[in-house]
Amino acid sequence: TLTLTSLIILTLPIITTLLQNNKTNCFLYITKTAVTYAFAISLIPTLLFIQSNQEAYISNWHWMTIHTLKLSMSFKLDFFSLTFMPIALFITWSIMEFSLWYMHSDPHINRFFKYLLLFLITMLILVSANNLLQLFMGWEGVGIMSFLLISWWHGRTDANTAALQAMLYNRIGDMGFIMMMAWFTIHLNSWEFQQIFLTNPKNTTLPLLGLLLASAGKSAQFGLHPWLPSAMEGPTPVSALLHSSTMVMAGVFTLIRFYPLMENNLTIQTSTLCLGAITTLFTAICALTQNDIKKIIALSTSSQLGLMMVTIGINQPHLAFIHMCTHAFFKAMLFLSSGSIIHNLNNEQDIRKMGGLYKTMPITSTAIIIGSLALTGMPFLTGFYSKDPIIETANMSYINTWALLITLIAVSMTASYSTRIIFFALLGQPRYPSLTQINENNPYLINPIKRLILGSIFMGFLISMNTIPHTTPQMTMPPHLKFMALAVTLLGFTVATELNNMTHNLMFKQPSRMHTFSTMLGYYPTITHRILPYLSLTMSQNLATTIMDSIWLEKMIPKNLTTMQKTAASLVSNQKGLMKPYFLSFLLSITLGLLIAL
Amino acid sequence: MNPLALSLILTTLLAGTLITMMSSHWLTAWMGLEMNMLTMIPILMKTTNPRSTEAATKYFMTQAMASMMLMMALTINLMYSGQWSITKMTNPVASNMALMALMTKLGSAPFHFWVPEVTQGVELTPGMILLTWQKLAPLSLLYQMATYTNTNLIYLSGLLSILIGGWGGLNQTQLRKILAYSSISHMGWMLIILPFNPTLTLLNLTIYIMLTLSIFMILTNTFTTSMSSLTLMWNKTPAMTIMLMTTLLSLGGLPPLSGFMPKWLMIHELTKNNSIIMPLTMAIMALLNMYFYMRLIYYSSLTILPSTNNMKMTWRFTNTKHTMTLPTLITLSNMLLPLTPMISMLE
Repeated sequence: TLTLTSLIILTLPIITTLLQNNKTNCFLYITKTAVTYAFAISLIPTLLFIQSNQEAYISNWHWMTIHTLKLSMSFKLDFFSLTFMPIALFITWSIMEFSLWYMHSDPHINRFFKYLLLFLITMLILVSANNLLQLFMGWEGVGIMSFLLISWWHGRTDANTAALQAMLYNRIGDMGFIMMMAWFTIHLNSWEFQQIFLTNPKNTTLPLLGLLLASAGKSAQFGLHPWLPSAMEGPTPVSALLHSSTMVMAGVFTLIRFYPLMENNLTIQTSTLCLGAITTLFTAICALTQNDIKKIIALSTSSQLGLMMVTIGINQPHLAFIHMCTHAFFKAMLFLSSGSIIHNLNNEQDIRKMGGLYKTMPITSTAIIIGSLALTGMPFLTGFYSKDPIIETANMSYINTWALLITLIAVSMTASYSTRIIFFALLGQPRYPSLTQINENNPYLINPIKRLILGSIFMGFLISMNTIPHTTPQMTMPPHLKFMALAVTLLGFTVATELNNMTHNLMFKQPSRMHTFSTMLGYYPTITHRILPYLSLTMSQNLATTIMDSIWLEKMIPKNLTTMQKTAASLVSNQKGLMKPYFLSFLLSITLGLLIAL
Repeated sequence: MNPLALSLILTTLLAGTLITMMSSHWLTAWMGLEMNMLTMIPILMKTTNPRSTEAATKYFMTQAMASMMLMMALTINLMYSGQWSITKMTNPVASNMALMALMTKLGSAPFHFWVPEVTQGVELTPGMILLTWQKLAPLSLLYQMATYTNTNLIYLSGLLSILIGGWGGLNQTQLRKILAYSSISHMGWMLIILPFNPTLTLLNLTIYIMLTLSIFMILTNTFTTSMSSLTLMWNKTPAMTIMLMTTLLSLGGLPPLSGFMPKWLMIHELTKNNSIIMPLTMAIMALLNMYFYMRLIYYSSLTILPSTNNMKMTWRFTNTKHTMTLPTLITLSNMLLPLTPMISMLE
């Protein structure tokens, strides 16, 4: 029964795409309903799993055998995939309903829904894959769909460059993925997870490094991160689905999948930890001074992803997974609310031009406040059930103090920028033009947000109650460590509120250096996007023209040969015809010859 | 020249070389060489312009010096071994000094400076005799005495000759100088193979003499001495132009022609004796020679330089030059390659 139900889940959305119906009006509703039913059906295996703790994996269609490598289509239904699938389906359902409102004036809305559906399908393939090949297919699939969706409004150059950026950074990560696949093929002769975990090889640093690179690319860790803020060029539903809850989770998800291998390799754990810590701090700093609401939320996603990496780095993959699931809810909700604000203010995305929406858009502002509180780990909301254990475990484990400190600073910054959004968007006097069309009454807008609010509040509790802890959590710790997370969050809140209140009374000064650093995203995109292409293009030009064409083909042999021969010829045949020098040379030669001969 | 004087001179020339070639006593060999030199002088001075006289003077001085050195070598040999046999010059000073004297007589580097100037200064026929007949006597002496000489000297001189012969000829437009440098280069090839297989020296000499004789006779028949007159040869004697082309290619050592035979056998012999770099260098340097032969071929047979219409329709006079042995020589110099197995006859 488990097997059948999960397969049905996957095929339901697929069937919808098989119908060629770009012209009908019903396509949208059919899609949305299909996703709803898929969500409902997917709850069944999940509940069965919760009750019996039986993992399953289905291997049905034998695709091909290459030498000794057997490739088949197999699905792994374990704790991770069975928990994530309903969540993904739920969020996609909400987003599809939302985009019925958001994109309803778009002429190609059918294609939009098709893309969203394709994305969902590839994401589910990725999540439920039991071998690396299927995972890679899902991986590439989400990459391509992200490219298509980011450049939805392809008439805008910024959108096209952002999509290209996303693609390129993902590709760099894919190299790591392929290296991992190659290593596994060579050393373990299989791409199935069961075999990999059974044989438990000892020298796994190289493939795990590849995996780390792949996750860094997909989940926008430091070094491969600029594509995530730029990806906000896509429509808000896209940002909500891809870049907050699902696609960027793919990287972290794969890392979590490989936790049996990562348990044994301390090097990789340390590098994951440090990478995650740097990412979370850096993106939190950058998020502090951004003015575009979507960019703030995107950088917040990046920061939370860094936090998940940190969790994996301290060898707590299950906590990371729980944080991933809960984060999906409130981040999607934050994005949807920001979408509602943007549309209602007539496509205004700059928070300096919003304000006073607290009274005029009550549901949206409630959503934002609840989402921000959940994000920062307010006790007993969703985020608390995942974030607090992470901070506690980090405090009690034997890790880098530096990484821990950075993570704590980033947590307080999370509170700060969330306060900033609330302050600028919701509180105070309105700063937008006075002819407004603020209307929240559309059920397609309200229902998803309401559902996600409920999820944000209750899901943390539900998930943590229903999962069996795989590592014993630390129960006792000194009180100052226990309250650390809460304390830094409150610190962040208060500092931000104070500063923001002061902005009413300050005169505008030139931004300080630190401020510019933060606003320009740390200058990272500016530097790398210019230097790296310049270097490689000039190098290849030099290589092709100067070295190959002019030196090797022209100068090295032909021209040098002619010059040498001409010099030699003129030297040799340049006799003056005087006998005495000839005889002198004969004398010298004879003397030398006799000396040689003796 | 007076026919009686001419016949006397030519007979003495003949006698001199034959005496050298047939002697087993050094003194008679030296005497033959002296006779050769002395009778060559009037041949070189057949035309009485100052240029020929100068060439003859240079020739005399160089060859006299070489003979003096040879005499000194012989006396040293007599002092140390007490005998006059050519094949047993065991004292290294003597044998190497004699080697260098003979190399001067042949015109190999580093004693090559007189060859282009003397060849250029005289007419084509004396030049022909200079480059072909005069090589016989010294080479026969070298053939006999080479076993006791220092091979390093021979290799050095040979390689240097090939190099100088190749590079020197690149810068020339006068045909006699070109043939002089070609002779220097061929002397180099002959010298190098001497310690390995002297038979091949003689083979190379034979083929070289045939080729040079053919070329000189073609040139004499058409009165060409410089490259510019070469370009007009196509009109007067088109058949001989083509023959010149093939003979020049043979001189450069191109495979299906007979000039390839000595080069091939020499490289074979050298590689059998485990020296790889030297034949490689020799073969590459021979390409320089080939380059300026190709230049001659290009200007004579392959292209027609711009000329007025009058030149294209010359009045053909009857040929008064002797062309008796020319066809035989040309055939021999081009088509001997299939007869290579017959060199076992020379052993």
